[in-house]
Amino acid sequence: MDVKLPQLAEGVESGTVVSILVAEGEEVKKDQPIMELETQKAVGSIPAPSSGIVTKIYVKQGMDVAVGQALIALESSGAASAKPAQAPAATETPPVKPSVPPTKTQAATTAAGVENYHYESKSGAPPPAPPSVRKIARDLGIDLTRIKGSEAGGRINLGDVRDYIQRLQQIAFHGTAPAARPALADAPTPSEAIDFAKWGPIRREKMSPLRRTVGRRMVESWTTIPKINQFADADVTALLALRKKRAAAYEKKGAHLTFTSFLLLVLGRALKKHPRANSSMDESAHEIVYKDYCHIGVAVDTEGGLIVPTLRDVDRKNLFELSQELHALTEKTRQRKISLEELQGGTFTISNQGSIGGSHFTPIIYAPQVAILGVGQGQAKPVAIDGKIAIRTIVPLCLAYDHRVLDGADAVRFLKDVIAGLEAFDEADLKLK
Amino acid sequence: MEPTSTEILVLGAGPGGYTAAFYAADKGKKVTLVEQNPRLGGVCMNVGCIPSKALLHATAVMRESKESSKRGIEFGALNLNLDKLRAWKESIVEKLGQGIKTLAQHRHVEVVHGRGHFEDSQTLRVETDAGQKFIRYEKAIIAVGSKPAMPNAFDLGNKRVMTSTEALELPDVPQDILVVGGGYIGMELGTVYAALGSRVVVLEALPSILTGVDPDLVRPVSRVAQKAFKEIRLNTKVLKMATAGKQIKVITEVNKEQREELYDRVLVSVGRVPNLADLGLENTKVTKDDKGFIQCNAQQQTEDPNIYAVGDVNGGTLLAHRAFKEAKVAVEAMLGEASAFENVVIPAVVFTDPEVAWCGLTETEAKQKNIGVKIARFPWGASGRALTLDRPDGLTKLVIEPETERILGVGIVGVGAGELISEGVLAVEMGATARDIADSVHPHPTLSETLMEAAESFYGTATHTLTRRDV
Repeated sequence: MDVKLPQLAEGVESGTVVSILVAEGEEVKKDQPIMELETQKAVGSIPAPSSGIVTKIYVKQGMDVAVGQALIALESSGAASAKPAQAPAATETPPVKPSVPPTKTQAATTAAGVENYHYESKSGAPPPAPPSVRKIARDLGIDLTRIKGSEAGGRINLGDVRDYIQRLQQIAFHGTAPAARPALADAPTPSEAIDFAKWGPIRREKMSPLRRTVGRRMVESWTTIPKINQFADADVTALLALRKKRAAAYEKKGAHLTFTSFLLLVLGRALKKHPRANSSMDESAHEIVYKDYCHIGVAVDTEGGLIVPTLRDVDRKNLFELSQELHALTEKTRQRKISLEELQGGTFTISNQGSIGGSHFTPIIYAPQVAILGVGQGQAKPVAIDGKIAIRTIVPLCLAYDHRVLDGADAVRFLKDVIAGLEAFDEADLKLK
Repeated sequence: MEPTSTEILVLGAGPGGYTAAFYAADKGKKVTLVEQNPRLGGVCMNVGCIPSKALLHATAVMRESKESSKRGIEFGALNLNLDKLRAWKESIVEKLGQGIKTLAQHRHVEVVHGRGHFEDSQTLRVETDAGQKFIRYEKAIIAVGSKPAMPNAFDLGNKRVMTSTEALELPDVPQDILVVGGGYIGMELGTVYAALGSRVVVLEALPSILTGVDPDLVRPVSRVAQKAFKEIRLNTKVLKMATAGKQIKVITEVNKEQREELYDRVLVSVGRVPNLADLGLENTKVTKDDKGFIQCNAQQQTEDPNIYAVGDVNGGTLLAHRAFKEAKVAVEAMLGEASAFENVVIPAVVFTDPEVAWCGLTETEAKQKNIGVKIARFPWGASGRALTLDRPDGLTKLVIEPETERILGVGIVGVGAGELISEGVLAVEMGATARDIADSVHPHPTLSETLMEAAESFYGTATHTLTRRDV
């Protein structure tokens, strides 16, 4: 049997093979990872659907594969004709053909369909299409005789043209036309190519799907959200003292007490009190969507780039649980073992650059969320307290928020509550149960 | 003299020319429009479509009033005041010409009156009343149109031998008028003069009037014309014409038999030729085909990259609405837009009694090219509306691609066919199927229902007619 790339997550149609974990002739157990795949959202492993012997590997490292594409051939262990365990010398893989079973949206959309279809009319008439569609085709340089119309009499509508272009893009980007799905919008429209080599030696590196996704999301956020950056400082001297006092006890119980854990607890409460900061905007319905849950995304710096896993139900967890889960989640993310599900559903995001020494910075909102908190490194600073100068640890904060949803006053009140939560952190919250 | 300069120069202010000039101005270009006649509007407005339709309307009323007696309405003796009719026609032309002038002013299109002559690919010399003027341009559009052909053998220098231009002037109502050429111009003007009271004889060299039009669409026109005209003589050649006092002596040959007749006036309507003489095209790279029309590509660009051509100067079907479309294509192409005159459905209307109109693929063409099509017909005798108009002499037919049921062409003969054909144009342009038309509700009682019923007859289910189910 051929093992095909399963549907990974909503909206994820393809990925790049990062590494192949099995060899031809090797025996694998059910659920054993057979390869690692990098998608737009994360790196994940593909488990073997059943136990058996790998008789053929169809893909190579670095290859782009689409949902439904055959990855390896697996022969069930019991089969008599178990091939000898020697790997064939030829590592050349046979041409990969998308073997997606035809479904409603995928009918007649094979690569062959795009390349070979040619409209022919016995009457010699041009392909039937309304003038508006013909104009668009002319503007785009699209040959309508290549497009199979979906309407009565084979009439081509705008949707048919769009599908065709998307299939062409698939071919251009991946060499195959896997399915008539909406093309994955890529990073910003490329500007004119510049010959950097003119000024000195250069090196080019392919942007990973992850990098491209980050790019696309950032452009989307930057260009669509009218945002305000609200700066503030939080005096965390007392909080750090509490952390120092309790860290060892937490460690003993297997939890890593970090500043971010404190921040999560405080944010969970502040978001509960200010539900608008935890909301999203439904532009088409002209509605604000309030969420009764509070899942906070935490930006994690990994070798492959920025990944933002989501910590669920922050408002319902105590500091110990948050510390434990945060640690587990970041570790998993750094090892790139995070699942796609764990990347989704966030309602607010923290970007903490404190550990790497960042100061004030203006984070970019992670749409469809409406706010993000940027946190810099705490630094000892002279502060006037009751008319006297004291040396305190000050953490620079910046709340970036979507002004369509939050007004300045809302944001300031929310931020004030966050600062108050940090500055007057209740020791009772540190108690281990 | 110092040349003035412009971005786009348009030579000729007919439908193609003024459309191009206005469209270019609307798109922000500096435009100069050169026209040799004092009045803008070209052939269409001055000596073509508009005056002929004014006269056809007036004469249709005369005919209607005569025919009303059988419906119990009698008007008594008809009184024709030719001067008043001429003045009314003239007032329409004047009004439209003024309209074009005003539209040009509001768009800041500079209008220069005078005869244009190309000095080179980017300079036009204009002979104006105030002397020579040189205009430097970036791009030019030639839209000088066409004029009625007058073969040398017929050109007697006698005002009694007219072209459509003179005939539309309505000099008088001749007792006997000979129309040479049974094309649409000859048939339309023959209809006018017959209604005014002339005895009209139409001569046609070919075996049918309105050559090229589907025979079943021509038949009702022939039938009416045979009654209204004194005679329609087919397969006839004019051998000679000569002035004979206040008349014209015409020698014709039909079935190798010569005939000599006298006519008060002769209308020569044997085609049109482009107005390309003395234009200085030899100073540009513009080329002409063997019939003397300008050659250009789908972007309306001539062999000279700076010069485009639209309308009658390009040959083909000489129709104002084709020129309108070509003008837009030319301007878009000049501005670097992706535009092309390709697969454009150009309807044709003959304003005879009854009117004939068609668009897209005709039945005749399908036969000639051996294209397998199905024809769905609906005779107007089954149309309630046609009967209430007392005009059941009509036919609506659809030319259908059988495999896809797509409408490839539409042909209509009957009163108001010219107005009805637009639905056909939309259907062909949209790639509509017979089902699309059959399933679109058409108002009752109207002639437009004939399109719906023709489409239904393709499926053998037209309500008001029986279709043989031999399909």
